[in-house]
Amino acid sequence: MRLKKSAVVIATASLLALAACGGGGDSGPSDVVPSQGEGGGAGAGKVPDMQGPAAVPDDAAEGGTVTIETLQSPFTFDPTRAYYTDSTSIMSLVTRALTQYVYDPDSNDMVLAPDMATDLGTPNEDNTEWTFTLRDGLKYEDGTPVKAEDVAYAISRSFAIDELPEGPTYQLQFFKDGDKYKGPFKEKGKLCSCVTVDGNDITIHMSRPFPEMDYYASFPVFTAIPQAKDTKEEYGNHPLATGPYMFKDYKPGASLTLVKNPNWDPATDPGRIQAVDEWDFHFAQDQAKFENTILSDNGDAQTTLTYDNITPPTYKKISQDDPDRLVTGTSPCTYMWYLDMTKITDINVRKAIGYAYPYVDVWKAGGEIVGLTRVPGTAILPPGTNGRQEFDVLGIKGENTDPEKAKELLQQANAMGFEIKFLYATDDPLSVAAKDQVVKGLEAGGFKATPIASTINKIREARSDYDSPINVRSSGWCSDWPSGGSWFPAQWDGSLVGLEGMPNQANFKEADADAKQKEILSMPADKVPAAWGEFDKWMQETYYPAVVVGYSGTAMIRGSKIGGMYNDAVRGMPTFANMYITK
Amino acid sequence: MAQSAMESVSEQTMGLPDPKKDAEIAGRSPLQIAMTRLRSDKIAMVCLAIVIFFFLIGIFAPLLAKAFGVEVRGGDPSTDTDIFNFPVIGPPDHPFTWQAPLGLAPNTGDDNLAEWLYGARTSLMIATISTVGSTVIGITIGLIAGFSRGWLDRVISFVIDTFLSLPFLLMALALAPIITLRFANQPSVLKYAQVISLVCILTFFGWMTLARLIRGEVLSLREREFVQAAKVMGVPTRQILRKELLPNMVAPIVVSISLSLPAFVAAEAGLSYLGIGVIGVPSWGQTVNKAVDYFDTYPLYLYAPVVGIFFLVVALNLLGDAIRDAFDPKTRR
Repeated sequence: MRLKKSAVVIATASLLALAACGGGGDSGPSDVVPSQGEGGGAGAGKVPDMQGPAAVPDDAAEGGTVTIETLQSPFTFDPTRAYYTDSTSIMSLVTRALTQYVYDPDSNDMVLAPDMATDLGTPNEDNTEWTFTLRDGLKYEDGTPVKAEDVAYAISRSFAIDELPEGPTYQLQFFKDGDKYKGPFKEKGKLCSCVTVDGNDITIHMSRPFPEMDYYASFPVFTAIPQAKDTKEEYGNHPLATGPYMFKDYKPGASLTLVKNPNWDPATDPGRIQAVDEWDFHFAQDQAKFENTILSDNGDAQTTLTYDNITPPTYKKISQDDPDRLVTGTSPCTYMWYLDMTKITDINVRKAIGYAYPYVDVWKAGGEIVGLTRVPGTAILPPGTNGRQEFDVLGIKGENTDPEKAKELLQQANAMGFEIKFLYATDDPLSVAAKDQVVKGLEAGGFKATPIASTINKIREARSDYDSPINVRSSGWCSDWPSGGSWFPAQWDGSLVGLEGMPNQANFKEADADAKQKEILSMPADKVPAAWGEFDKWMQETYYPAVVVGYSGTAMIRGSKIGGMYNDAVRGMPTFANMYITK
Repeated sequence: MAQSAMESVSEQTMGLPDPKKDAEIAGRSPLQIAMTRLRSDKIAMVCLAIVIFFFLIGIFAPLLAKAFGVEVRGGDPSTDTDIFNFPVIGPPDHPFTWQAPLGLAPNTGDDNLAEWLYGARTSLMIATISTVGSTVIGITIGLIAGFSRGWLDRVISFVIDTFLSLPFLLMALALAPIITLRFANQPSVLKYAQVISLVCILTFFGWMTLARLIRGEVLSLREREFVQAAKVMGVPTRQILRKELLPNMVAPIVVSISLSLPAFVAAEAGLSYLGIGVIGVPSWGQTVNKAVDYFDTYPLYLYAPVVGIFFLVVALNLLGDAIRDAFDPKTRR
């Protein structure tokens, strides 16, 4: 899954990392140590028999309006195109999918539960056919019933990547005819042959085994869209609601108002409640302003929240004044420095970069709160992922920079003064500050550092350009579901080298790695996650194509009257489906 | 003010009276009169002292930084900041220390005093160069436009109007990324390219008012007898412009300089605040940009550059006003 839009920018900007929550200093207020709290993960658990209705907590008041302030503006609300974490999270209030993630208070993690389907789907023996059964009693906001054909249409619609770009694309790789079918618009209303409908049963046929379809079915793509009411590009301005809330007013880039959907039946939904009357989203707001509003906690601010990670000064104030209003947790993203395998060919040089990289300095200069919004790590798969292995190729815990060791390796490789070229955005002060630290760190480690200037608007384009004069790329990746299956085939497959948009950012193309990946994809479903964990370790040990510069974390604040706000560890967003206003 | 004409008249008509009396009355040019009036203006003198003070800071920034034992961009985030990314010494959480008299910057741990001293230097350097540049351009174009009749005057006036109609901020916003991307691959060049481009932007958008002013003055002077006389005598145009017209326009030029300096200081800070000024060089505007989030948790971080900009701009503006008053024969204070 893609990072929230601005987070991508920050990733490139502050392309760097953090050290243990140390630093503290002898007399500082270091009795508070940043921590993401107990539990947390990435939603690997499954509860196939969860039943509705979800219980409304005792302290929930009737009605009220929750205001959400954010500096981002979601890219789209078209269920087929929603791929950024903010869009998919807000969509979960409006459009239901076949499965959903539900917050589990015991583990403080999300678990996969049924949504419009009665269970998590039934695969055939070799995972090439998945059958989901639609519940009875599902209705759209206009009162018309939801039919299995509508889900089939929604799935078909996701193949129309020319008309509706930027959505998830696993269906093209895994579904039958995914390489041929071009969506209902080009095919004159014909649906994809990969979906067949029988009464309430929806069967999806695969071209190759797809053991993780139940996770993928939680994406808004797998909602229901009546073919007659599809307005193509316009649909994202008012998607038909199947969930507890529906669109009342949407001004793209500015605001969104959701009101109760009277045709939503709580008995059919194990994961959502309908306690508040209205959700008011305000997009593209000034962060310092709304952080201070929420901190003040007066009047309407008591029912206001933000899903943006807070800034260090706000973190300091809230942890002194009212730590209860701080919601923290994990989110399944890994920031990396992708080392261009075609330009940095010696593994000793690549490892030397890992030793020289000034993790903590870069994180702090980039405005990250070490241990909270940026957590050190060494495996590419983030914590909470199924089958993930802990390993440490460099032995510096992903945070203890060692310039001496870097120099030693460079000398071995006979590459002292190797030139590292990386991008930064001149119009983002945090990016500039982080860049200064990278330069300092690399030079201490015996490298020559050449920062290449770019701007916030241009940096993504420059990063995904094969001809850019850079040899490392700072970016990251988030889980689409908590298994390596949403990581390695999407970023580390040799066949991706040369594709538009540069999905394989390290230009990593090794025959033995590709062979291993192919082998894993054909394994039985239960062995797959562990195999990906093993592959992660093997790849970093053998090739070290990326410096892991920390995992993302979530630190959001809320007004005192908001209840049920936890961290959605799958997306790093608030658990909107559980939220209410307290009495 | 037809200076040369008046002088020749006074010498002839006054004759040779008592030499003692002569010393008391005569011998004061309009410039001298203005300077006397300026010297007696207390506010102007205080402002002048402040301006000189800032210029000294700018000129001797490296020495001052050394004297305080601070250096630019010398921070180490992992040892100089705590878990909240706030500095581990000095304000806001710890008592004053001479190690960092203005404290350290949050996140990076860079020294604020060093940043402030060099910021003054950047500010004044850019403002001074831009002022000189725009004044030279303004005078030249104004003189030529005013003295040349017909099509050349019309063309130049059209150019002036065109430049005046270009929105300065939009042009600056549009040019900044172009410059950044043009020199993206040469970090060492980029630093200077940004300073030079900023100076150019400020210069190119700062000369029009003076040019118009000069043109108007020239229009009113060129028909006067001393200019006509010079022409009749066959004095070359260049010399008429330099020797006859320019000396009569010292007042508007001085006033224009003294008022555009503070405008450029403010513009430089404003552009840096918007992230399109100089990058990688200490600048008050950049510090303000970074410090706004800390207005209540770490006020000193924000106030240091704000106070710097405030005093410099107010002092320069008041000084400019005083100079204008001093040069204007019609005001009596």
